[in-house]
Amino acid sequence: MSLAFQASQALPRGTDYLRILPELVLSIFGMIIMVLDPVVDQRRNQKALGTLALIGSLAAIASTLWQARAPGLAFWNMVQVDTFSVFFHFLITTITAVVILTSYEYMEVQQIRVGEYYALILFGAVGMCLMSSAVELVLIFIALEISSISTYILAGFRRRAAISSEASIKYFLLGSFATAFFLYGVALMFGATGSTSIPTIEQHLRSGSIPVLAYVAIALMFVGLGFKVAAAPFHVWTPDVYEGAPAPIVGFMSTAPKAAVFAVLLRIMFQIHAPGRLGLIWVAAALSMTLGNIGALVQQNVKRLLAYSSIAHAGYLLVAFAALPQNGIPSAMFYTASYAAMNIGAFAVVSHFGGAGERYVTLEDYSGLGRRSPVLAAALTLFLLSLIGIPITAGFFAKFYVFSAALQANLVGLVIIGVINSAVAAYYYLRVIVVVYMHDPRDESVLPAVPLELGAALAITALTTIYLGLLPGRVLDYASRSAGDLLH
Amino acid sequence: MNGPSLDTIILSLVTFIPAFGGLLLFFFPRRDRDIRVFALVVALLAFALSLHLPRYLHRAQAGFQYEIDKPWIPTPNIHYHMGVDGVSSWLVVLTTFLTPLCVLISWRSIHERVKEFFVLLLILESALIGVFVSLDLFLFYFFWEATLIPMALLIGMFGHGRRVYAAVKFFLYTMIASVFMLAGILWLYAKAGSFDFITIQNAIRNGKVEGFAAAAPWLFLGFFVAFAVKVPLFPFHTWLPDAHVEAPTAGSVLLAGVLLKMGTYGMLRFNLGFFPEQSRANAWWIAILALIGIIYGALVAMVQPNMKKLIAYSSISHLGFVVLGIFSFTPAGVAGAVFIMLAHGISTGALFMLAGILYERRHTYEISEFGGLATPMPRYAAFFLFIVLSSVGLPLLNGFVGEFLVLSGAFQAHAVYGVLGATGVIWSACYLLWMYQRVFFGKVRQPVNESLPDLDTREHLALWPAAAAALVMGVAPLLWLNTIQPAAQSAISPLGQIASKVITP
Amino acid sequence: MLHLVLFLIFGAICVAGAVNLLVQRHPINSALSLVAVMASLAVEYLLLGAEFVAAVQVIVYAGAIMVLFVFVIMLLNAGEEARTGGSRVAILFGIPGMLAGSLLVAWVLITHSGTQEVSAGALPGPPREIANLLFHDFLLPFEVTSVLVLIAIMGAVVLAARPESIEQQKREG
Repeated sequence: MSLAFQASQALPRGTDYLRILPELVLSIFGMIIMVLDPVVDQRRNQKALGTLALIGSLAAIASTLWQARAPGLAFWNMVQVDTFSVFFHFLITTITAVVILTSYEYMEVQQIRVGEYYALILFGAVGMCLMSSAVELVLIFIALEISSISTYILAGFRRRAAISSEASIKYFLLGSFATAFFLYGVALMFGATGSTSIPTIEQHLRSGSIPVLAYVAIALMFVGLGFKVAAAPFHVWTPDVYEGAPAPIVGFMSTAPKAAVFAVLLRIMFQIHAPGRLGLIWVAAALSMTLGNIGALVQQNVKRLLAYSSIAHAGYLLVAFAALPQNGIPSAMFYTASYAAMNIGAFAVVSHFGGAGERYVTLEDYSGLGRRSPVLAAALTLFLLSLIGIPITAGFFAKFYVFSAALQANLVGLVIIGVINSAVAAYYYLRVIVVVYMHDPRDESVLPAVPLELGAALAITALTTIYLGLLPGRVLDYASRSAGDLLH
Repeated sequence: MNGPSLDTIILSLVTFIPAFGGLLLFFFPRRDRDIRVFALVVALLAFALSLHLPRYLHRAQAGFQYEIDKPWIPTPNIHYHMGVDGVSSWLVVLTTFLTPLCVLISWRSIHERVKEFFVLLLILESALIGVFVSLDLFLFYFFWEATLIPMALLIGMFGHGRRVYAAVKFFLYTMIASVFMLAGILWLYAKAGSFDFITIQNAIRNGKVEGFAAAAPWLFLGFFVAFAVKVPLFPFHTWLPDAHVEAPTAGSVLLAGVLLKMGTYGMLRFNLGFFPEQSRANAWWIAILALIGIIYGALVAMVQPNMKKLIAYSSISHLGFVVLGIFSFTPAGVAGAVFIMLAHGISTGALFMLAGILYERRHTYEISEFGGLATPMPRYAAFFLFIVLSSVGLPLLNGFVGEFLVLSGAFQAHAVYGVLGATGVIWSACYLLWMYQRVFFGKVRQPVNESLPDLDTREHLALWPAAAAALVMGVAPLLWLNTIQPAAQSAISPLGQIASKVITP
Repeated sequence: MLHLVLFLIFGAICVAGAVNLLVQRHPINSALSLVAVMASLAVEYLLLGAEFVAAVQVIVYAGAIMVLFVFVIMLLNAGEEARTGGSRVAILFGIPGMLAGSLLVAWVLITHSGTQEVSAGALPGPPREIANLLFHDFLLPFEVTSVLVLIAIMGAVVLAARPESIEQQKREG
């Protein structure tokens, strides 16, 4: 027995806790919010809990930065803190903070109870953060479940809208099914290699011939994860769920869980040297880009349009997974960050403009937005241009790095599909801009002023979009170093 | 002036002052008058600064001046590299010259969303200047695309009837065409490892670009298509009349005056600069397309009932001369082409302003609505005649010099081109003077027209500079040609040995 | 040999129970089939030599959880669900796809049976070893599960609460 080993380290050490500090901070704040929720007078102070959640996410950002100085393994090789995990921790906690900022006004306008809402966002972030630092498939699975279940619930938060409950149920049923696939894949991987620890699996797969079972395991895990990032052909749920869920939450779940799942995919695909990676990714990427963009062309509802666009973007991002590791990893990481900035921004505009009950979400409602609210319109335009991939916005370099990484791996066919798709995509994003600026408003009523918190969220996302488009060097460097860490 | 320090930052200043002004304007309170004045001040400031470029340009010295080259993004290797030569410095001045006039001409005609209009106008100015001064292909491509958005918005937000259709058509045409150029740029970057114009040019000349010989025909076409749509060369021209007819006056002025020149400038700089062999090989059909453009544009212009459409088609015809001049590969032809670019910018810009003045009063561009306008608006008629004559190519006015040089270049290249091109001059006289006759002479047929007010002070202010420039360019063309010629010479120097030879069809 | 035969028999019962669970229209019938699934799974664990897990399976799932299930169904007084036509996509692609997928996995498992055979006793069975895994090697996943359970409870609260609670509070306050 391993008694000797037990004696040497029976209990987790201090550094072990440091290495899950952001998760601890987020959980603690989540629990404080739950405890305070019944105590605080909601009628008067919806904002108090939001502010508490915001402080929690900021504290998580700070602890991520602190944690970055002490990289290493923790909890008996369950969790690994390195530049890779710090990148995603920072990204996820920042997304959380910004989404909380965009929720303030939304929750008040929609008259939704806030207590569980903010707590669920924080707990969801716990799962996502863990996904990016976990190096053990069982832990990854549990973290994935935490992140998924919290988003299922958050999707159903507009209780008065039947469509929201529908979104929640649909997402829950399909999502559970997908997670089952992932779990089955984990089990088969354990069968193939005798371990669920990623470094051990890597050694095992590298040392000898690759068992056929491992291919099946990878494929099954990819099905589960592909569902979570809305990659075709596992994308069918996306438009309905995005349409039904509260707008700030769509901003959240189209970025933070996706970032976390992409982190897991990066580990599985590149760190494990997943067998059969190329074929899987090639098909999923090509399908996602094409189906997403074709679907978006005919949408009249802005939320559905952005849903299809997010399918397409998952496709562009997957292209990076088909590239060589040393280029593919940084470009995928850069893409995740850029996409987060522009998409949350776009949904922040959608959530403000939607009004009570999210009444104004069709393209026609957006007519003349440029006249009614120049600032919102300008922000939306910036985000849409970035989603198209116009230079000096984040979207341009994101696509550029991904496609050039794919070209270096000689994936000319995939790049051609991607470029054609980007051109098609320009059409429907521009349609929104055309409607916003060139159509006469249908409704001249004055829009409510943009509140301070939402303004801050828009400023953060807009500045990040421009920063990543003007000076992508630093972030890319960091991502490249992370790739090095991931590949040793 | 202030010595070398100003020389290194002057291009950045000229490029970004309008955009910066636009950004400030964005935060202005909505007091329309202040906004207009501020926009005018910014535009004039940029103009004053831009005059530095040709004034202190070393004429004898070929190559780029006022260069600034700073590393910007490490991966991909993008530099903030700007510089001008004799050609581009004048195009910058053309842009900064026309923008204040645009501000003046839009003073009253734009009365809704004034702030947005001037913000977009100033951003557009920055992007246009950026296109001409960029020496890094990435930077160039960025500015190239950046011109699209404000222009499309100007057409779509402030245009007339079918403005949305026109804006979207304009955007899609030029955007899709420029994707081919982007593909070419990325190929060059992948093989040469740099976006730098000079580096790539040297690498190509020294044969250091792997696989260049095989790819060059395609690259040439990729760049060419993007530029040809912008020019627009027949048969890529269909977006232009739509865009012009629907655009607000200032949009038309900048569209005809500067945006189209981006295409011809691109041909001169990139098609000739990177692919001399392919340029020579493809010159015959390009020249034929240019000739078709000259004659077709003129003939279609002849039958237009709409004044603005007529001017738009005349642009197609004039720009045909420019392309013909560039692809004649003779020093005279290229210098003439550049000179037409400037002259056309001023005369056609002025024509659009004049049409806009009429539109402000009558809200129509239909020629048949007018007639006998010389009686109620004598000053207006005088200006119009002056500009029409300069556009027709009357000696001592600006149109003549360029057309003469291009035609003499074309004759050197191939006599048939010269002969056919020369008919274009005649055609242009026909349609413009006929239009003038229909609008200004005869009796006043519509009672509304009898009481049309003549030009006011603001309109005088907008028109005088253009008219003066047209005259000075015609009387003293050497002021311009002195700086243009060395640059033109160096543009065709890679074609050196064939420069004076006949191009064989 | 007897082990193998028993293993196959209970495996078949398990799958049959799961299918029956989906086919049955009355919730109680479904719940009872679930009991069969859980119980046969427990036997499978036992046959693989994991006595402790088998016992836990019986006590927690087949016992406690199922009692709760049945209790809730009775309380809600849930009736028979209406028969729907079923999705054409599911019939055309879903079921054949699922069959193909499971046949593929079965084929892989039979022909290339991985690197090691899993035999009884190879995996941790005794409580001490399981405790060692659970509270040492897998301490973090074990603890993190509490967050999972917490949000699941919260989800039930949120989604079951009446939508107009905030307006009510306003009226009361």
